[in-house]
Amino acid sequence: MNITITIYSENKPGVLYRIANLFLRRKVNIESLTVSEIKSEDRSRFTIVVKEDLSLVAKIAKQLERIIEVSSVEIHTDNELIFKDAALIKISKNPKVVKKLDSIISLLKASIAYQNDKYIIIEKLGTEEDIDLLVSTLEPFVKETVKSGRIALPKNGQ
Amino acid sequence: MKLSGGRILMESLLENQTDLIFGYPGGAIMPIYDALYDYKDKLKHVLVRHEQGAAHAAEGYARLSGKVGVCFATSGPGATNLVTGIADAMMDSVPLVCITGQVYANLLGTDAFQETDMIGVTTPITKWNYQITKPDEVAETIAKAFYIARTGRPGPVLIDITKNAQIEKADFKYPQKISIPSFKLPGKPNDNLVKQAAKLINNAQKPFLIAGHGVIISKAFNQLKTLAQKADIPVASTLLGLSAIPSSHPLSMGILGMHGKYSTNVLTNQADVIIAVGMRFDDRVTGRLSEYAKQAKIIHIDIDASEINKNTIANVAINADAKSALEALIPKISKNEHTSWLSEFNRLDQIEFEKVTTKELTPQNNKIKMAQVVNMLSDKTKGRAVVVADVGQHQMVTARYFKFQKNNSFLTSGGAGTMGYALPAAIGAKMAQPQTEVIAIIGDGSFQMTIQELATIAQEGIAIKIIILNNKFLGMVRQWQDLFFDKRYSFVDLKNPDFVAVAKGFYIYGEKVTSYSDLEKAIERLLKAKKSYLLEVEVEKETNVFPMVPAGASVEEVRLE
Repeated sequence: MNITITIYSENKPGVLYRIANLFLRRKVNIESLTVSEIKSEDRSRFTIVVKEDLSLVAKIAKQLERIIEVSSVEIHTDNELIFKDAALIKISKNPKVVKKLDSIISLLKASIAYQNDKYIIIEKLGTEEDIDLLVSTLEPFVKETVKSGRIALPKNGQ
Repeated sequence: MKLSGGRILMESLLENQTDLIFGYPGGAIMPIYDALYDYKDKLKHVLVRHEQGAAHAAEGYARLSGKVGVCFATSGPGATNLVTGIADAMMDSVPLVCITGQVYANLLGTDAFQETDMIGVTTPITKWNYQITKPDEVAETIAKAFYIARTGRPGPVLIDITKNAQIEKADFKYPQKISIPSFKLPGKPNDNLVKQAAKLINNAQKPFLIAGHGVIISKAFNQLKTLAQKADIPVASTLLGLSAIPSSHPLSMGILGMHGKYSTNVLTNQADVIIAVGMRFDDRVTGRLSEYAKQAKIIHIDIDASEINKNTIANVAINADAKSALEALIPKISKNEHTSWLSEFNRLDQIEFEKVTTKELTPQNNKIKMAQVVNMLSDKTKGRAVVVADVGQHQMVTARYFKFQKNNSFLTSGGAGTMGYALPAAIGAKMAQPQTEVIAIIGDGSFQMTIQELATIAQEGIAIKIIILNNKFLGMVRQWQDLFFDKRYSFVDLKNPDFVAVAKGFYIYGEKVTSYSDLEKAIERLLKAKKSYLLEVEVEKETNVFPMVPAGASVEEVRLE
């Protein structure tokens, strides 16, 4: 099961190392990781996705809270969250795809971020499945895809 | 006023009531040692012979003085030699501040001479660590280091200071207030949970208290005794919980766990309510978890939230320090009597006495058994010495047979099981309590891991009593090979040096006994000695420590033979 761990910490060097170390000790693979600054509070937010049992993740969460720089840790299942990944998809500017592109991006809620003579870069915000669907639709023309880690906010509570 | 980083460090240590440092100089920490030269009258420094010794000595000092232990080491190998001691302190919640020198900041990351990434190395084994690269960071960082080391669940902190930060000058202003917004202080015991716990205890027929190291760290001795007496509850101790309650107390049932008592292990699985205070359900305590105290309601008191529900699921968990939790609990506890439950302990103790204890204590031939040495020592000191045990069979025998009468009088490496702990830890212990008799009980294998600290003892001129229980084996490993590996004794034989001669070479005098008839007088001479004294006791070669819960077995499967 996907569990999203949200860690709030002081915005200082080395915190990621301490967090990553704990996942290593518990032999838990990080599926996705997003770190961002909460500017107004001089804190950082780590959004980490793992595929593990909730009970193990709950233990890890408490151990993460032992890290001095970490102020709090929350864990959520997917149904408790609004979550998105971002992707940039570079495709070749082939007439076959250019013809259909407007309808594809409007149907799949993407947009064109950049284009030149040879390539078009498409941007897409959505779930992993949304992004996969877009990539597979564009498949023969896709040169390169890059995906971000998950960003998430709980639907309720804090 | 501008001071060098090294001097700022000295001033900051003084602000934290540091009076003793264990350390070893070297290239990258020389400016700090140069600053120390001017603070010699206020900051005593003990020159160990290996940095591991510095860390263990600082642990011994911290555990008996109630202060934060401080050690110094240089960069690279000096710093990595501290690592075992730091890991030990992390496992056993001992407050340390370890200062390591580091190469100049402009050389960081270049594989400079004696450069080791100590932040990387010690992140998993410290409560906190930090690298200082500028002198103006020193005062605030040291203030934080001490605060973190001693607040909440204690633990080791490592501060790595680059050489330029030791030399360059900055304004010295010690912070009046320490601000760590993310630091989570343990809360007060929750009223509602305390009520629930009290209700469980008041309704219990077979309540069972387990005292862990947390009782000792929070000095909850009276509270533990009061709770036990008021509700008439038997008290067992973890290895590090020994001496939380005097062994002679009628409700003190002794140690539990792998080499704990027969009664405490068997009855763990019969108790209806277990009150676990300042302990973490280590695997050496629980045996096979799936069969550990399944019948019991568990009340878990611990200062560290991450310990709660880590190994066992608590019915009521009070996340607070042992003392405040017990204080909150006591007024809500009704007076009670559990005569028949207590008599169960006595009945099983009698079985253990007949099957194990009498055999161990009664001299059969003129050979000496470890238990006889510890038992005699316990009697002769009336259980009032501070005992520092190393790791192995002798440790378990000491835990079983020494009758601790004084609170916080047993030091040993519990969680990490670090061989070589006892000799340096005894140095720190003696320096924390110079008037107390400090006795190190060490196996022949363990002794040779930190034997060089005999030189430190001689140089400091302190009086430590050392007992070597010599069975010419790595005894605990041999015991496991005997019981679980078909007696295939794989590399456990020791051809030992002449320990008395070795000690003499370090200007420490002593003697060796080989027969039981000479033992008593030899122990008397050891205790009477005004200076350090080493007593080597040749003990029976192949004896196993029982009772024993084999690894992976349930506590009720505790073996008596």
